[in-house]
Amino acid sequence: MNEITLRPEIRRKLDEIETADIVVGIPSYNNAKTIAHVVRAVQAGFAKYFPYKKCLLVNSDGGSNDGTMDVVQNAALDSFESILLHHRTPSMYRITTPYHGLPGKGSAFRTIFEIASSVGARACAVVDSDLRSITPEWIELLIKPVIEDRSDYVAPLYHRHKFDGTITNSIVYPLTRALYGKRIRQPIGGDFGFSGELAKFYLSKDVWDTDVARFGVDIWMTTTAVANQFRVCQSFLGAKIHDPKDPGADLSAMLYQVVSATFDLMKTYDDVWMKTSGSSAAETFGFQFDVGLEPVNVNIERMLDRFRLGVNELKDLWSLVLQQKTVDYLQKRVVEHTDTFNIEEEIWVEIIYSFALASQKKVLNNEHLLKSLTPLYIGRTASFIIRNYDKSASDVEKDIENLCMLFEILKGDFINSWKENKGGANE
Amino acid sequence: MNKFEQILIQPLEMFYEKILLFLPNFLAAVMLLLIGLFLAWILKLISVKIFGSLQIDNFSERIGLNNILHRGGVKESLSGILSILISSIVIFTFSVISLRALDMPAVERLLEKLFLYLPNIFVALLIIFFGYILSNFLGRAILIASVNAGIRVSELIAKIVKTAVVLLAATMALEQLGIGSSTIIVAFAIVFGGIILALAIAFGLGGKEMAADYLKKKLCEKEEQDEINHL
Repeated sequence: MNEITLRPEIRRKLDEIETADIVVGIPSYNNAKTIAHVVRAVQAGFAKYFPYKKCLLVNSDGGSNDGTMDVVQNAALDSFESILLHHRTPSMYRITTPYHGLPGKGSAFRTIFEIASSVGARACAVVDSDLRSITPEWIELLIKPVIEDRSDYVAPLYHRHKFDGTITNSIVYPLTRALYGKRIRQPIGGDFGFSGELAKFYLSKDVWDTDVARFGVDIWMTTTAVANQFRVCQSFLGAKIHDPKDPGADLSAMLYQVVSATFDLMKTYDDVWMKTSGSSAAETFGFQFDVGLEPVNVNIERMLDRFRLGVNELKDLWSLVLQQKTVDYLQKRVVEHTDTFNIEEEIWVEIIYSFALASQKKVLNNEHLLKSLTPLYIGRTASFIIRNYDKSASDVEKDIENLCMLFEILKGDFINSWKENKGGANE
Repeated sequence: MNKFEQILIQPLEMFYEKILLFLPNFLAAVMLLLIGLFLAWILKLISVKIFGSLQIDNFSERIGLNNILHRGGVKESLSGILSILISSIVIFTFSVISLRALDMPAVERLLEKLFLYLPNIFVALLIIFFGYILSNFLGRAILIASVNAGIRVSELIAKIVKTAVVLLAATMALEQLGIGSSTIIVAFAIVFGGIILALAIAFGLGGKEMAADYLKKKLCEKEEQDEINHL
């Protein structure tokens, strides 16, 4: 593995700090508006829950031009008394540095792992820079299971709007749960805690020129921890509210990066998931409570338009990946009225497993293959929203649970097809 | 010898003699060609078997060659392509031998020219092959990207791109073969420029209202955006 080169001033700063017990990293790119709140929450979390530990905050930036790094340097709590702290608190060390490598969240994380490894951190965490709902308690909940040696990896558990996190709910959570047998509800949540040892393990992997360097890093961290038998838990953090994403952000690129990383991991760890059956709950920390969530606007007609366009234009391409009866089924959905539009869950599971097999068999260029999944994903999301429009959050959760069970039930057939493909390739 | 014999019979006799001299060569040439075709067929069958036992398709899968061929829309496996190549070489070689067997100076001169011309044909074929692969790859990439961007005429755009790449490859190949090189380049430029101009006019006239609606939507009305956080 090629080591990244930290800038000389960062090296000097690290020599000055020597060691740190806890490292919290914040990846950023043009987040000047929101990052100050995140920095203050981390600082308060250090002061309130780890006053006797040496703590370091690292901002790994992707070349922001809105002064994000200056905001991080200058952000500070006005008064510790406001968080009911009267004892003397040690000052928090902070490092802000641009990262090297491919532009993306994964490269930012890599720099954080490198710094955590350099200072010999015992526990680390990463939190998103656009969070509006982060509180000091998040730091406690992400770090404490690690520092008390109860876990190596802490995944977040949030309350989210029932229509939020659709890639997580329809693909990543059910698939990783069925494959690796651990019920980690937010495997790509973005805010994680992990041990210094696990950070070193991540660094030892040569994946930084792949989709892991971009949006694929979250699923890669979670899967790597689970598949390599690290102790995994989840902490309830409350609501996840963040700055609205740029509506122009390319959904197909995001979907491609996440699904591509998930499918690549399936190839790496097939010896692990082929032996796993069923699933078990992950230990969960934190006091769970209901939270009010902001409403989410959805334009179902536009979603269905995209799905219909996809079916009309890409059906021939999908015929290389899906069974003909599935393609016929999708074609029938094109003329369906919005109110009754529905893509059955069995069909959706079959679609995901078929795309995984096509990726394994290299039926098409991987980017073409996975980007052609976008209209299907949009159609399935529309179907999910229509079906659950008036349902409560707990009923929607049951719907997701049913999908997960289907992924687990159909895993047997999927394993057989996977073995068949692999056997064919090894002959 | 009377005049009639001089005018009619003598040339016929000479022609007959020439045919008698040429016929064995012609029969030998036909024979050689038939042997070549038969040998090519046999070799194709044998090479398929040999490549199968050598697992050459698995090898090409491992090195990613199958992936490149599939991406380019070539459905034949590597062993299939190699078998076709072997049989084609055999047919070509026997065709040349059979032509030589005709023992005609004009044909021999032509063959000599053909041999000097062969490298150009090889390069032109390569250009066509890679052009075809590239056109399929780009066509598919454009189709998927346009569908994901919600463009209704995605298939048309993809077909235009694909055709343009094939046209470009064909122009380059013909230029390599030295067939009316300047004419072909000018023709390509005219055809390509014509297509673009036609499209521009079509969009300008036919899509005037659509363009106005689009700009109005973009600049004046705010379309209801999804606020779903997908991750």
